Amino acid sequence: MRTAIITGAARGIGKEIAHRLATDFDHLVVVDLSPTLADAALELEATGVRVTPVEANLTTDAGVAAVVDAVETVAALVNNAGITRDARLVNMDEADFRAVLDVNLGAPYRLAMALDGTWADEATIVNIASRAYLGNFGQFNYSMSKGGVVGLSRALAISLAPRVRVNAVAPGLTATDMVETIPDDVIARMVAAIPLGRMGEPSEIADVVAWLCSSQSSYVTGQVVVAGGGRSLT
Amino acid sequence: MRAHLVIPADLRAAFEAAGVDEGELGDPTVIACPSGHHDWPSLLASLTVVFEKSRAAAIAESSVVYVVSSDALLGRTGPLDAMAANGVVSAARTLAAELRKAGVSVNCLGVGVDTPPATVVEWAMRLLDAGVDGPTGELVQLGGAQIGKALS
Repeated sequence: MRTAIITGAARGIGKEIAHRLATDFDHLVVVDLSPTLADAALELEATGVRVTPVEANLTTDAGVAAVVDAVETVAALVNNAGITRDARLVNMDEADFRAVLDVNLGAPYRLAMALDGTWADEATIVNIASRAYLGNFGQFNYSMSKGGVVGLSRALAISLAPRVRVNAVAPGLTATDMVETIPDDVIARMVAAIPLGRMGEPSEIADVVAWLCSSQSSYVTGQVVVAGGGRSLT
Repeated sequence: MRAHLVIPADLRAAFEAAGVDEGELGDPTVIACPSGHHDWPSLLASLTVVFEKSRAAAIAESSVVYVVSSDALLGRTGPLDAMAANGVVSAARTLAAELRKAGVSVNCLGVGVDTPPATVVEWAMRLLDAGVDGPTGELVQLGGAQIGKALS
C-alpha cells in the first residue's frame, strides 16, 4: 500500500493536492486543525481512496506523534500547512514572528525528522514554500519561514539520498481563501504584475506536486519549482 | 568606522583588528546567521534574536549585512543550518524591499569555511556602505565555491 501524508489538507491548496494524489496513492493521511477536516476526508473517500484524517497541531510533540502513529511506510509527504501574520518589520511583533516560523518551518522539520525510518523505497517529500522566499514586502516572518523550507528541502535532499527525493514548490498568487482577505484593488495590481495575467489555481499547484511525487521526476531532487505565472521575473 | 555587531567572538575580533568600533542600535549592523543548533526550539530562539536585531535596524533605518555560510545555503551542513541560512537570506530580501525607499541597503554575505575573517570584514563593510544606488537584497558569495551550484 502506497501512503501519502498531506498536511493542511482540509482546504485550499492542500485539499486540492490530496484530491490530486488520490489517483496516485492507495492511502492518504490528511492532517489539519480545521473543523472542516472531517468533511474534507469524506469527500476524498468518495473518490475510492482510503483516508485517515488526523486532527493534529504539528508544532507539538503530541501532534507529530499522532501522524507518525497513523502510518507504517510512507511513500510521500507533502508539508503544506502554513499561516501568515503580515506586517512591515517595524510593526511586526515577536509573537507573530514566532508563530509563523513555528508552523511554517518548525512543523515540517519536526515531522520529517519523526518519520525517519518509515520511508518507502523511492519515497518523495514535497515541501510547499512560496514565491515569497524570494522576498516580499510585509512578510519578514513568512519569507524567512519559506526560505527556511527551501533550505530544509536542500539539506534533506542530500541526507536522504538516494532513497528519498526531496523538493520544494513555491506557489505565487493562488486563488484560495488566503487571498480573499486582500482588497480587490490590491489583487488587481498583483495580477497585473504576473506575466500569465491571472492568479494560479490550486489544481495547478497540485499538478506540480503530483509530478514531483511521481516517477516522472525520478532524477529531480533538492530543487525549487516556482509556480507563479512568471511573477518571479517581473 | 562603527558598526553594531551581532556576531560571534572570533569574527568580532576580526572587525576590531580592522579598526571597526563596536557601535550601537542605529549604526550599520552586521548580523551572523545562527548555526550549529541541534533542535528546533533552540534555533527558533536564535532566529528570534535575528528578528529583534533586524527590527531594531529597520526602525533606525540602518543598513544591514547578514553573514551566512555558503555550505549551509546548499544544505551541506544539515537541515537546521540550511533552514537558518536560507531563511535569513529570504528575510533579508524582504527587509531590503521594505527599506528600499529610504535608501537603506540590506544584503547577505556568503562565506566559506576557508574565507579569511579579514575578507569577511572587508566585504561586510563594503556592503554596509553600499549607498542608495548600490546593491540591496543581494547575496554576495565570497571565494567562488558556489559556482555551478543551484541557488536562488
